[in-house]
Amino acid sequence: MSRKNSFQDILGLNRRNQEYVRPYNPPSAKRIADNKILTKRILAKAGINTPEVYKLIRSKKQLQFLDWDSLPKSFVIKPNKGTGGNGIIVFYGKKKDQNIWIRPSGQVMTQRDISLHIENILEGRFSMGSKKDIAIIEERVKTDPLLKQYSFKGVPDIRIICFNNIPIMAMTRLPTKRSNGTANLHSGAICTGIDIGTGITTYSMHMSPKSLMSDTYEMIDKTMDLKQNKSLSGIQIPDWDKLLEIALKCQKATGLGYIGVDIAIDRDKGPVVFEVNARPGLGIQVANQTGLRWRLEKARGLDIKSIKHGMRLGKNLFGGEVEESIESISGRKVVNIVEKVNVYHKPAVSMRKRKQKIKVDKEIVNAFMDTGILTSRISSSLSNRIGFREAIKYFKTIDIPNNFDSFKDAQDYIDTKGQEIIKHDDILRLAKITEDGKIHIRPVIKITIKIGKDVRDIETVVTDDIIYPLVIGRSELSGYLVDTTKTFK
Amino acid sequence: MQYSPFTTWILSNGISDQILELLIAVTILATIVSLARYIFGSKSYGIYAPIILAIAYSYTGLKYGLAITAIVIITSLLSYSVLKKIRMHYITRIAINYCILTLVLITFLIAVNYLGLGLENMENVPALAMISIAALGEFFTKQYIKKSFKNSILILLSTILISTIGWFVITRNVISTYLFNNLWIIPILILVNLLIGQFKGLRIKDLFRFKSIVRSKDNV
Repeated sequence: MSRKNSFQDILGLNRRNQEYVRPYNPPSAKRIADNKILTKRILAKAGINTPEVYKLIRSKKQLQFLDWDSLPKSFVIKPNKGTGGNGIIVFYGKKKDQNIWIRPSGQVMTQRDISLHIENILEGRFSMGSKKDIAIIEERVKTDPLLKQYSFKGVPDIRIICFNNIPIMAMTRLPTKRSNGTANLHSGAICTGIDIGTGITTYSMHMSPKSLMSDTYEMIDKTMDLKQNKSLSGIQIPDWDKLLEIALKCQKATGLGYIGVDIAIDRDKGPVVFEVNARPGLGIQVANQTGLRWRLEKARGLDIKSIKHGMRLGKNLFGGEVEESIESISGRKVVNIVEKVNVYHKPAVSMRKRKQKIKVDKEIVNAFMDTGILTSRISSSLSNRIGFREAIKYFKTIDIPNNFDSFKDAQDYIDTKGQEIIKHDDILRLAKITEDGKIHIRPVIKITIKIGKDVRDIETVVTDDIIYPLVIGRSELSGYLVDTTKTFK
Repeated sequence: MQYSPFTTWILSNGISDQILELLIAVTILATIVSLARYIFGSKSYGIYAPIILAIAYSYTGLKYGLAITAIVIITSLLSYSVLKKIRMHYITRIAINYCILTLVLITFLIAVNYLGLGLENMENVPALAMISIAALGEFFTKQYIKKSFKNSILILLSTILISTIGWFVITRNVISTYLFNNLWIIPILILVNLLIGQFKGLRIKDLFRFKSIVRSKDNV
C-alpha cells in the first residue's frame, strides 16, 4: 500500500507548537533540552554517551586563567544555551608550538580570537533571549568512515524524532562545502531521509541556494561538492537499532514527549548524542517525502510498554511506507559493499586450462561497490588472469603519455590517436581516469561477471593493481542497494 | 468632525485625538503582524519593530520613510562589514553603528537639501519618527550577526513589507475614521487574535515549503 500524501498529512509550525511541543514538552523538560550542560548530565545518568567536556567557562575571570596549553589539537566551542547551531566553532588542528588553531575551512584563530568569541558567548550573543551564558569546550567527534565518505569535513549527524516513546521519523544531515562543514540545513548541509524500519537512506534534499525565499528545498540524489560525488539513497546507517534505542532512552531521560535527538557516530566511541531538541524542525518531512502529522496521530495514545516495544511499533508502523519506495527504486537487490563476484574467463583461457585438465572457467573475487565512480575498474593482474594478457601487453607497447594536465587534453589525445589503439579486438575503447590524482588513459575491456544471481557483461577500465581486483562502478549498480554494514561491523 | 458619543466622551476626558488614533493604530498593526506570522508565515523582527516602523512611516510619509530605511540599512550593513574586522564587544559595535548612522543621516539630509533627490519635503519629517526608523539598524545587525546575510535580508524585507501594509491600512481615512467612531472593534481584535492563536492549520508559506511532498507521491 503506497500512501498518497495530502496537505492533511503534513505537520506545520502552528500545529507542531500547539499540539505537540506545548502539551507534551513541559517547561522543566524544555529547560533540559535548552541547556547543553544539563542535557549531558542527565544523559550520562541514563548511560548515554555525549561528547566529553574539556572545560566549562562561566566567567571572564575563568577565561583569563584558562590554561591554553592544556587544550588538545582539536576541540569544539559551544554556547551552553545556543540556538540553531549559532556560535559553535570547530577546531581541526593546531599550529605547532603556537596557540593558533585551524578551522575546517582552513581559517586560523589565535588565542585572542578565541577569547573574544568566548567572551561573546558569555555575554549571551548566541543564547536564547541574549541572556548570560556559559562556554563549553568539548571533544570533537571523529566521524565514522562510512558517513565520512558523504560529507565535507564536519561531522554528519542523525536526527531521530520520537513521540510517545515511538521513533517517528529520521534523517541524516551531511555537511557540505557550502555549509562550511556544519550539519546545519540553513547553511547548505544535505538532508537525507532514513527509513525507520531498516535504517536505509531514501530521499535527499538541500536548501536551494538560488531561491529567494528561505526554507525552499530542492531534491537531489547525489552529494554536491565532494571530489567524487556519491549517490545518497540506499546507504545503510550502521547500528540502526542501537541508534533508535538511544533516541528512545533520551526521550525517557529528558521527559520530552516530542523530541528530536541528534546523534553522531564516533569512529572510536560509537553513537554519541550531540543534543536533544524540544522543537525539532519540520524539514525532515521533505527529506522523507512524507508528513509527520499522520504518523504522530497514529502514535498518539498508544500504550508503550518498553523501549523494545516502542522500537518495534515504530518500525512496523512507519518503516514499511518508505521501504516500499526503496523497493520501487531498486527492485530491492541488496549487495554488500564488498561482494563476492564470479568473473568468467575469456573462452580462450578456459580452453587452454581445459587442456591441462584444470577446469577453471571462472574465478571468485572480492569486488568493491563504489558509487563514486561511473565505469567499473579491473586490476591488470586479474585481467591478465582471465585472458586479456595479449590486449594488456599490446596496450603497454603503445607510447601514451603517463599523465595529462586535464581531462580535455586526455580527450583530445583519445580523439586524435584513439582509433589506432583500439585496433586490438579486446579493447573496446579508451577511457580517461584519475588515479592518485593523475589523469591517465586506460583501455576498456568487456568481461562477464555473475553478481548475486545475475550474469552480465560489463565494461571495465583496466587499471594498475588496486586494493580490490574489481571495483563495480555506478553504471552497473543501478537497481542495487549497497549494504555497507558488512564492512564496518 | 462629528464623533460618536462614546468617542466624544473619551476625548473630553483627558485623551487627545492624536493619542487615541495612535493607540488604535497599534492594535490594528499588532493584529496585522500576527496575521502575517501565523497565517502567512512571514517572519519579522518581533512585533515591536514593524509596529514602530509603520507608525513612523505614517508620520514621515511612505516615500521619506522608505528612503530613511534604505539609508539606515545600507549604513548598518557597511559599518558592520567594516567593524567586523576589528575585535570588540557587541554593544560597542552597535554604539559605533549608531554614531556612524547619525553622521550619514546628517550628510544625507544636507545632500537632500542641495540636490533635492525627489525628497524636497525632508525637513518636515518629525525627528522622533526618524530615530524610530534608525532603531531598525540594530534589529538588522543583531539578526545579521547570528544568522546568514540572506536570512537577515529576507526578514528585513518582510518586516518592511508588513510595515508598509500596516502603514497603508492605518493611513486610510475611511478606516481610521471608522475605527475612531467604533471602538468596540478593539475587543473584536482581541477575539481575532485569540482565533489566530488557536489556528493549527498550515501557514501559506508551509504550503510552498512542503508542496514537493504532496506532488511527489501523486506521481507514483
